[in-house]
Amino acid sequence: MFHWLEKNPFFFAVGVFLVIAFAGIISILPDFAKSSQPLVGTKPYTVLELTGRHVYIKDSCNACHSQLIRPFKNETDRYGKYSLSGEYAYDRPFLWGSKRTGPDLMRIGNYRTTDWHANHMWEPTAIVPGSIMPRYRHHFTNIANFETAYAEAVTVKKVFNVPYDKPNMPKLGTFEEAQKEALIEAKKIAAAMKKDTDNNDIKTALDNGQIPEIVALIAYLNSLK
Amino acid sequence: MNWFSDNVNQIALLGAAVIILATVFVVGKYIKQMKTDRSTGVLADDTWDGIGEYKNPLPMGWAITFLLTMIWAMWYLTLGYPVNSYSQIGEWNEEVQAYNKAFEEKHKNIKGEELTNMGEGVFLVQCAPCHGIDAEGINGKAQGFVDQRMTKEQVLDVINRGSAALGDNPAGNLGYPMMVMPPMMATGADAEAIAEYVSKGMKGDAPVSFAACSSCHGVDGKGLGGQSPNIAEFDEILIMKTLEHGKVGSIGDMPKFNDGRLSDIQKRAVSTYILSLSK
Repeated sequence: MFHWLEKNPFFFAVGVFLVIAFAGIISILPDFAKSSQPLVGTKPYTVLELTGRHVYIKDSCNACHSQLIRPFKNETDRYGKYSLSGEYAYDRPFLWGSKRTGPDLMRIGNYRTTDWHANHMWEPTAIVPGSIMPRYRHHFTNIANFETAYAEAVTVKKVFNVPYDKPNMPKLGTFEEAQKEALIEAKKIAAAMKKDTDNNDIKTALDNGQIPEIVALIAYLNSLK
Repeated sequence: MNWFSDNVNQIALLGAAVIILATVFVVGKYIKQMKTDRSTGVLADDTWDGIGEYKNPLPMGWAITFLLTMIWAMWYLTLGYPVNSYSQIGEWNEEVQAYNKAFEEKHKNIKGEELTNMGEGVFLVQCAPCHGIDAEGINGKAQGFVDQRMTKEQVLDVINRGSAALGDNPAGNLGYPMMVMPPMMATGADAEAIAEYVSKGMKGDAPVSFAACSSCHGVDGKGLGGQSPNIAEFDEILIMKTLEHGKVGSIGDMPKFNDGRLSDIQKRAVSTYILSLSK
């Protein structure tokens, strides 16, 4: 057999590839699978948070903001505990980002509030003098796409066994139930927004069963802890 | 030839010239050797497809290096890697521990202006995003520290809702020994009068209804030496406890700063800085 391989270099190369690939798989995959398990206490996003995550992705927040705190003292001093891979278990896709034009947002929910975000999205320089972040005023009038977020949640629940509807985990239920739940949460957030400008658009939209982008986005940012 | 007067450029050029000369010399030497050298020695009996082998001893330097490599490999496989394997988190732990120790050591006896300056630095990084770089609260969006302890609106809010509504700490929001303040200790005109008095800095005669407050907060409103919150002015205990527990007030939410982001010295520095603003 080996004589035959020595005379057929192509098949010899295929054999070498298979052996090395197999060794690689058994040494890399188990470790990778282990470290990507969700940490204790890591929960999937609620549908409202997921809606906000879609706004975050749509407006490319990740082009300027990372979500990855490296284990260096200067980073953990500013942003909090370094990130662990299990914390991203329910991120599809992860939003690590590769450039910090603005600060890291991995744990923004620990040290900023709903009201702060509302004021800051409306007029960043009024809160942080010299900030180069653009205004995101269209978030206050655009209506977020709740249906897509619900569809995503149902899909990951069915395909990847994401633990929605399990004990101590976010509820999903039917679309109507999820929408009702999200509206209750959204109204709490809207009540905590004490922005200088008129909030009537947001209140009207919520009363009509629609969720403005800013409310969903703030729900998502508050969930980053 | 302006660029040539730069000594780094001169050294780089000199280096390049040396490398070129050395290369020419070494390559020339070996090409000459290849042309003239002939191998010598005793041939082994066996040949492999017509290729023979000299029975020369190993070059000494090569043999020593080979042996040392084998010894190092034994050490690395059994001890070097398993016992000393590198961990990024471990390096972070060491770095933070060493820094904190040096920080504690250096600022053990910090006080006065130095402490205030450190506090200002911490304030600008951690507090200013909400309270403003001038610590005036960005037009009422957060607590201001310069003018007054509380506005009339804030006093009325606390009287109406009690301390349990100010945060999620079950033992009274800020964790003072007096614990929980019940809602509605005063109502209507009485509450108005108290709010007016407290928000004006507690100057002049106290309204009669202030008796409802003074049993816990003291006649001077200073909290009986840390038993309950000081409502007359900011003090270090109040600021420390607010950093520890956070707050839900009529203005909005303040997050907790209890995750180790601030060391004890830094917390003291911040409170010293804040107190220096209202003097």
